Amino acid sequence: MNKTIEILFPEFCNLYGDISNMKYIQKCIPESNFIETSFNEEPTFVKNDVDLIYMGPMTEKMQEKVTEKLKKYKQRIEELIEKNVVFLITGNALEIFGKYIENEDGTKIEALGIFDIYSKRNMMKRHNSNFIGKYEDIEIVGFKSQFTQSYGNNEQNYFAKVEKGIGLNPESSFEGLQKNNFIATYLIGPILILNPEFTQKVLKKMEIQKPKIAFEEDVKKAYEQRLKELKRL
Amino acid sequence: MKKNLKFYIVLYLAKLSRIALKIIGRDATYFPGKLAVTLCPDFLGRIDKPKTIIGVTGTNGKTTVCNMIEDCLKENGYEFIDNHLGSNINSGLASTLIEGASLLGKQKKDLAVFEIDERSAVKIYPYVTPTYLVCTNLFRDSLKRNAHTEFISNILTNNIPKETKLILNGDDLIVSGLAPENERVYFGIDRLETDTDKCENIVRDITVCPKCDSKLEYDFVRYNHVGRAHCLSCDFASPKINYEVTNIDFEKMKMWVKNEEKEEDYDIINNNIINIYNMLATISVLKEIGLTRNQINPVLKNQKIVDTRYSKEKVKNIEIITQLSKGMNPIACSRAFDYVRKEEGNKAVFVLLDDLHEAANSSENIAWHYDTDYEFLNSESIKQILTAGARYLDTYVRMQMADIPKEKIVYQRDEMSLVEKLNLEGIDKVFILHDLYSIDLKNQIKKKVEERILEE
Repeated sequence: MNKTIEILFPEFCNLYGDISNMKYIQKCIPESNFIETSFNEEPTFVKNDVDLIYMGPMTEKMQEKVTEKLKKYKQRIEELIEKNVVFLITGNALEIFGKYIENEDGTKIEALGIFDIYSKRNMMKRHNSNFIGKYEDIEIVGFKSQFTQSYGNNEQNYFAKVEKGIGLNPESSFEGLQKNNFIATYLIGPILILNPEFTQKVLKKMEIQKPKIAFEEDVKKAYEQRLKELKRL
Repeated sequence: MKKNLKFYIVLYLAKLSRIALKIIGRDATYFPGKLAVTLCPDFLGRIDKPKTIIGVTGTNGKTTVCNMIEDCLKENGYEFIDNHLGSNINSGLASTLIEGASLLGKQKKDLAVFEIDERSAVKIYPYVTPTYLVCTNLFRDSLKRNAHTEFISNILTNNIPKETKLILNGDDLIVSGLAPENERVYFGIDRLETDTDKCENIVRDITVCPKCDSKLEYDFVRYNHVGRAHCLSCDFASPKINYEVTNIDFEKMKMWVKNEEKEEDYDIINNNIINIYNMLATISVLKEIGLTRNQINPVLKNQKIVDTRYSKEKVKNIEIITQLSKGMNPIACSRAFDYVRKEEGNKAVFVLLDDLHEAANSSENIAWHYDTDYEFLNSESIKQILTAGARYLDTYVRMQMADIPKEKIVYQRDEMSLVEKLNLEGIDKVFILHDLYSIDLKNQIKKKVEERILEE
């Protein structure tokens, strides 16, 4: 079960401890091959098949550069989504896959347009919240901390149904995006460490039979405690 | 901005509220300023300011640097106003200016020292023009409030007044690029033996050239993005340093600062590099306003770091060291972890970093733990790590992610009974790392550790 995991631009897409998600995957499947693709390289997924593509949150300036860079590979990304390759996209990396990102002054950054949503920045109003949402048969817990909100209809292709907190925007009940095995979420931080059952599902999607997650007992205890706390709030 | 009738009414109301609060024995450093900026949003622009304003901003070290500047000024007979008892946001500055103003709104003193929260730049600099502005460093801080360093450096650059002379940490490439049009001097520390060629930290926020986006080559790395670097493709490089520590003698506890070809020695009060940066920032700004080495050094030499930040005490043959490690501030905690691992002897470490407000009212966002170098605690000389608090299960997982052997870790919800688990066998030093809001907890833990040592 030698899997290939590609981490996109870790020198930039590394805010809020999100890279820990890949460190955790490494603890779960240590024999796998981890490729860290830096911004000036061509991503491995362009010419090769990979099992998981990960991209984390970044600054606004980098978001514009990464968007520009990935535009060249839009077709290939769509092809990989159709081929059921697993994508895990966190924080504002999600916005790159929508139609555009709008600045406060109305100027727009054209994005990949793979999903029918758009995002609006408000750099003087940062949104912070806790989150519980239903993904398949499990409850996902996590945190949001962002300058942007996204709009558009994701009712048919959301990641998790909101139980507590907000969806794509404060009025939305649907968080994130999903299509086949492509998952994008505004949740930030170590979401795989925080959500052991979800991690198990991600590993299964990567066609790992009977996946074993690292520090299973301890991460589950921490998950149960957080879920209880967040429900009480 | 002119003083209008509304301004005077607000000024009197604020002054009256201050008197009333003082009479009933309440803290008057917050409310008067808050009242003023709420009723009159441009109050800071309308009130007179002292002729010379020294501002201190940056992620870490603001308070310490302000305290040192103020002590040196006081000892040398300067009269000034400062916000050290109040807050460092717009309302805190307003409170200080209200207190310092006569009934006509004129300032009674010519000099001010202001600690200025970097996130509050947009609400302060349109109205207050520091004559000198020190920036100590810019790191990732509370992600809920400060997001990331690009956000903070942008709001500083977009808001710092053009007339302000900047006194910048030249070893911090994010700081040294602030407000490029402004007049400036840089302070920095030349390569130290402990500096490396490779970054050991998880977080490094500047890896490409800010001018041309090519890869930066670091000449040396001190920690995170602090160090010196140059661009491989264009002429960008770390700036030429104006106030440079050329040598540190940790045995004699002395450092040498070079400015305009002249080298002067200063006494250092502790071997933590963070404190040397803080002293250097202080020396640089005081030299800029005309103080001499002989006016500065005797004061700095007798500085005591307040024990809410750092304390050291020997009980029998074991040292107890408390060190503030601001929670949600990954670089401050990583510096503390690095300090612990590099200290000599066998160590036991209490890690108490939970935010007590969050613990009482919410569920803390622990993402910052993964920007923090817990890996530094995975050291042969650290024999036991004890952690407790609302996030004890998360901290335990984080420590395992850092490959710290499980048998070294004690973790539990209750903080006070943690000391019972402390194993003092063969231990030379006990560290208590604590959050800013956990001073009482730190004191109680420290007392219990003392008792344990005396019992042995």
